Amino acid sequence: MSVRRGADPGLDEIRKGREEAGPVPRKGVGPVAWFDIRRRGLGHFAFSLNRITGLGLVFYLYLHLAVLSTLLRGEDAWDSFLGVATSKFFLLLDVLLIFGLLAHGLNGLRLALVGSGRAVDQQKALYRSIQVIGTILLLGAALRLMGSE
Amino acid sequence: MSAPAGTTRRFRIFRFKRGDDGHRYDEFDVPVHERTTVLEALRWVQLRKDPTLALRHSCFHASCGTCGVRVNGREGLGCVTALADVSGDTVTVEPIANLPVLNDLVADMAPFVDRFPAPHPNVRESEFLPQADTPDDVEGYGRFEDCIECGLCLSACPVAATDDTYVGPAALAYAQRMLEEARGTDREAILDWADSEAGAWRCHASFECTEACPSNVRPAQRIMALRKELGSRKKVSS
Amino acid sequence: MATTQAPSATPERSRSRTWAWTAGSGVALLVLVTIHMVAHHFVVEEVGGLRTYAQVLEYIGNPVIVVIELAFLVVVTIHAMLGLRSVLFDFGLSERAKRLADRGLVALGVVTVAYGIVLIGVLASRA
Repeated sequence: MSVRRGADPGLDEIRKGREEAGPVPRKGVGPVAWFDIRRRGLGHFAFSLNRITGLGLVFYLYLHLAVLSTLLRGEDAWDSFLGVATSKFFLLLDVLLIFGLLAHGLNGLRLALVGSGRAVDQQKALYRSIQVIGTILLLGAALRLMGSE
Repeated sequence: MSAPAGTTRRFRIFRFKRGDDGHRYDEFDVPVHERTTVLEALRWVQLRKDPTLALRHSCFHASCGTCGVRVNGREGLGCVTALADVSGDTVTVEPIANLPVLNDLVADMAPFVDRFPAPHPNVRESEFLPQADTPDDVEGYGRFEDCIECGLCLSACPVAATDDTYVGPAALAYAQRMLEEARGTDREAILDWADSEAGAWRCHASFECTEACPSNVRPAQRIMALRKELGSRKKVSS
Repeated sequence: MATTQAPSATPERSRSRTWAWTAGSGVALLVLVTIHMVAHHFVVEEVGGLRTYAQVLEYIGNPVIVVIELAFLVVVTIHAMLGLRSVLFDFGLSERAKRLADRGLVALGVVTVAYGIVLIGVLASRA
């Protein structure tokens, strides 16, 4: 099946005239549009958050692998790292990590369903459910982590 | 929020003429009443204040799709966007996004139209009841496609904001409708067309296209239906 | 000026397969990452559930754990590389750039898994 381009000679002439008149700005805003949720719907919010958490988790993956190399240097090196990792600030970062995992993972489950054509009309309700479930799990995890000091 | 008679709204309108170094925004205070639409306000500016303001419109009742703009960052047809529904002290009007701008609020729709697969008929069989009566010389009814090709879906799409090669919601929704009602075209060819990195698999399910569509096409839902069919295709490799 | 390209040169059905791998690895990760997070943050009584050096070695000394952690490593790397690929391809790359990106991500994924295998292997050997 062909793509319709230039089949209409009148349209061709118009295109030629436009090209000769000079370049026009492309009114697209680039990657900022991925994260601009102003006046956008719930689906766009889900997409933006999924993208931010996904990129954040990739960053965390390599940070984590780098940190784990401390184990190769033996017990003293690991204990020294634990001294930092068990501080309140780092425990809060762990809570942030769990938020990222929940946000990305639960929405990913929604996308696996919706993106394969299942439960499409329920996509908003699915996301609302995810927000509720994720919030409950996050609160539980946060209480457990922060309370372990 | 409704505007009593005798009030004005401040409009901030995107301006660009080819040959300019870049775009700018011009401001106008437009008299409005409670039922004034965005298009009416723009026409007032064009007729009373600045005849060089370029904009597109035709039917004034949301069936031609030519007056698509972004109002305070949100896609809509100017002819049916009531100012009473637009909040904020200033109303910012810009051309639809993700397409080249020809002139002020006029976007180049050629790249939008180019994304559609060919052939591109715009009439489909009506879903009227089989037992309905028709006049003797009428076999059945056809009706125009819901899609009015306004481009608002492409403007709202976050993928189209960065990827000019993505065919976009309108074209994919159209392909899915062709599967529902093949009209003699090759279904496998349509599926092959959609089954690409620039096609159905580029969509990230933000559903902004469906939010923006003024004509109940529901492009996102159709894209997911298309993906369901693509995913279950059992095609022998060539 | 936007154009509609012909389908890219990737093999037939690989596009739906790419998405299937992304979705499938993601669903698998729901299980694997839950196991991993619970094991490393919510089991031992230490602060934050973080294991001491001795506890790490005791944990990784279990062959079943080694298999689970290796599976987690492989699946999370696959999902991460596919995710990065999706983000990169959203920039409307040329065919050449797509091929370069694919090769780069495969290489990065291989290095990541290889490093993880070495890490797990060394720690398991110390257990």
